[in-house]
Amino acid sequence: MEEPRIGVYVCWCGTNIEKVVDVAEVAKAMEKLPNVVLSKNYKYMCSDPGQDLIIKDIKENNLNRIVVSACSPRIHELTFRKTLEKAGLNPYLLQMANIREHVSWVHDDKKAATDKAKSLVAAAVTRVNHHEELQKRTVDINPATLIIGGGIAGLTAALEIADAGKKVFLLEKTNHLGGVVAGIDQSFPYFDSAQQIIQQFIKRIKQHENVEVLLNTKAENITGYVGNFKMPLPMLGIDAELEFGNIIVATGLKPYDPSAIREYGYGYLPNVITSLEFEKMLMSGKIETKDGKTPEDILIIHCVGSRNKNCHEYCSRTCCMTALKFATQLRSALPKANIYQAYADMRSFGKDCEELYLKASQKDIMFLMYDQQKYLPEIRRAPNREKCEMLVEIEEILSGDMVEVPADLVILMTAMEAHEDVKDVARTVGVSLCGNDFFIERHPKLDPVATTTDGVFIAGTCQAPKDIPDSVAQAKAAAARVLSSIDVGQVEIEVTTAFTNEDLCCGCQTCISVCPYKAIGFNEENRVSVVNEILCKGCGTCSSACPTGAIRTRHFTDKQIMSQIEGMLSMTKRKSKKTELEV
Amino acid sequence: MEFQPTIISFLCNWCSYTGADLAGTSRMKYAPNIRIIRIMCSGRVDPTFVLKSFREGADGVLICGCHPGDCHYHEGNYKCLRRFKLLHKYIQQMGIHKDRLRLEWISASEGRQFADLVDNMTERLMELGPSPIKEIMEIA
Ligand SMILES: Cc1cc2nc3c(=O)[nH]c(=O)nc-3n(C[C@H](O)[C@H](O)[C@H](O)COP(=O)(O)OP(=O)(O)OC[C@H]3O[C@@H](n4cnc5c(N)ncnc54)[C@H](O)[C@@H]3O)c2cc1C
Ligand code: SF4
Ligand code: SF4
Ligand code: SF4
Ligand code: FES
Repeated sequence: MEEPRIGVYVCWCGTNIEKVVDVAEVAKAMEKLPNVVLSKNYKYMCSDPGQDLIIKDIKENNLNRIVVSACSPRIHELTFRKTLEKAGLNPYLLQMANIREHVSWVHDDKKAATDKAKSLVAAAVTRVNHHEELQKRTVDINPATLIIGGGIAGLTAALEIADAGKKVFLLEKTNHLGGVVAGIDQSFPYFDSAQQIIQQFIKRIKQHENVEVLLNTKAENITGYVGNFKMPLPMLGIDAELEFGNIIVATGLKPYDPSAIREYGYGYLPNVITSLEFEKMLMSGKIETKDGKTPEDILIIHCVGSRNKNCHEYCSRTCCMTALKFATQLRSALPKANIYQAYADMRSFGKDCEELYLKASQKDIMFLMYDQQKYLPEIRRAPNREKCEMLVEIEEILSGDMVEVPADLVILMTAMEAHEDVKDVARTVGVSLCGNDFFIERHPKLDPVATTTDGVFIAGTCQAPKDIPDSVAQAKAAAARVLSSIDVGQVEIEVTTAFTNEDLCCGCQTCISVCPYKAIGFNEENRVSVVNEILCKGCGTCSSACPTGAIRTRHFTDKQIMSQIEGMLSMTKRKSKKTELEV
Repeated sequence: MEFQPTIISFLCNWCSYTGADLAGTSRMKYAPNIRIIRIMCSGRVDPTFVLKSFREGADGVLICGCHPGDCHYHEGNYKCLRRFKLLHKYIQQMGIHKDRLRLEWISASEGRQFADLVDNMTERLMELGPSPIKEIMEIA
């Protein structure tokens, strides 16, 4: 291998890094390290002039290793790998040091931050010495797509892709399509029929020649990688399996069970119902209590299970508007009824939603505000059942009064929460969940429907609570991403896989027993282990288990990581010079 | 001057490194004593990495991975846990205090937990003082 000639670039990130880290001092300290040819600092390394600087230096100084010390590699490693490629260098001859997320944004003390930055950059320099050229591999994209979840998001994405002439497998775990929308009567803010929309979708899907619907089927045991995923279908025979190149997760959310909230008596007070149960009542065309009477007093309670530290802290986002929708529908169905809304905050963002709030408030509906953190409304059976079924005690915070509201029917605007099996879905598609068990997008602002796993996209409420228009928009975005990937036809895949040095392998097969992907096979003839690099995902578990060091994970070799450790601690002074220690 | 420990830390790319990045994007402040090395999975942590860190002068080593069941590669963190238990016994035999080596689960959303963990471990190492290995290796 030719002598390493390293270029080091310390980025200011405007003032983001420069404010806390002495970038000039860091760059200067690197000049002394072995094989460093030049070390510079610059205002924005990721900008075009920043990248051009690297390209020019590579060409003029014959650099063959680059260290960029800037933001997280999770953000810009690909950017700078491309920069190296433009300059004719293998992209893997780059190492980044994260001195923004791990230094300047988390520390205040300038000296300590600068010292830490120095050790991180020094570690990157020592590591990059041992980087090797890796050859990229491209694979063909299977043009079929798996969509998990048959709600409005899944149906929309399926139609979009199928209409473009590509195959779709639509998986739904229940025995019917439509998701939550299939149980909704009319939709806010325009009171159009949700049934008409969803039933049309379902009809088209069922007739579509490019869509294969699999009901009562969950996503399980998915293997493979972008372009070439597989899922077994054991119920259709031992060898039956689906093959597809991309995945869209659209598993939605389910309603929260309010029986855990003591104050509301859900489960034993027969006329306390949930929002979805009320939708059912609306669809049946009869609004009545359990014993068949027309309710005279109706109370709608907001934020049930949302925005409270005992349940979910997030806002479920569509219940305020649904509550206003209900109040409006109730008013036209029952002109004489008394309608009350107990709300904590009224959230009516969205096109034409504030207008719906305004209209509803002109329809003789009583709005009562309660403190969601302190006193929840308390529902009890009325002593005198002649007049009304229940009495609800509410501490109304705008007036400061304790009020008692009569009610024959109470509608709980329940939160929307993740399905119990969401972790299984997350695991099988390899995507992380946030603290609320919603799927995490690759970037919250710039890449909201992709995930950190290539070939896996998310759409609809599984990403976070949202209404129909937002779910549909995300579904179309995810479908567009899939279609463009099919159009390109090929994708570069991870080359940081494992491989064995057959001379060192003693045939103990330890690696085979630890590999989570069954990616290693045993060659009986030579008595050595062999990695199937298509199946290997590069986790490195085999490398750390192998007793002889025969199996190496590319780009995360022992030597690379060991040298990084050395570099990191090289800034600590030694009392006396000791020779290199053997590990 | 007060003793300032150095912690070498191995964070898996998918959960813990992302969690540490989140601490950054959320501007949570924590002790500057930690030095993070990114690996793909906690299952990649070879016991020799830990021993090497102590040998090179680390006062503590922190390994972080995804919560049980959440590993991006299904079970790398269980493999790590099993190895960790053995390693933990081994370092104590070498005279290294057990609190100098920790394995913790940090998810991508646990920026706060990560920041608190670093502070907590730094404080403990300040109580413990410099690693005894440094004396032997003659590292100041
Ligand atoms: C009472 C109520 C009223 C509402 N009213 C309105 C309204 O008027 N206007 C409006 O814009 N929005 C309204 N919404 C919000 C609307 O329901 C959502 O925006 C919409 O349902 C989101 O669709 P989705 O496809 O993302 O999820 P969902 O509708 O939840 O569909 C997800 C589907 O995935 C399936 N699934 C889940 N897990 C798996 C798995 N592991 N494998 C396979 N399949 C799986 C589920 O069975 C389901 O069929 C209302 C919500 C509620 C609760
Ligand atoms: S949308 Fe309204 S009712 Fe629903 S959780 Fe948010 S504030 Fe509460
Ligand atoms: S663990 Fe190492 S020595 Fe044992 S079979 Fe695998 S590669 Fe060969
Ligand atoms: S790196 Fe090793 S253990 Fe991990 S998937 Fe590849 S062969 Fe299997
Ligand atoms: S990927 Fe995080 S522990 Fe395996």
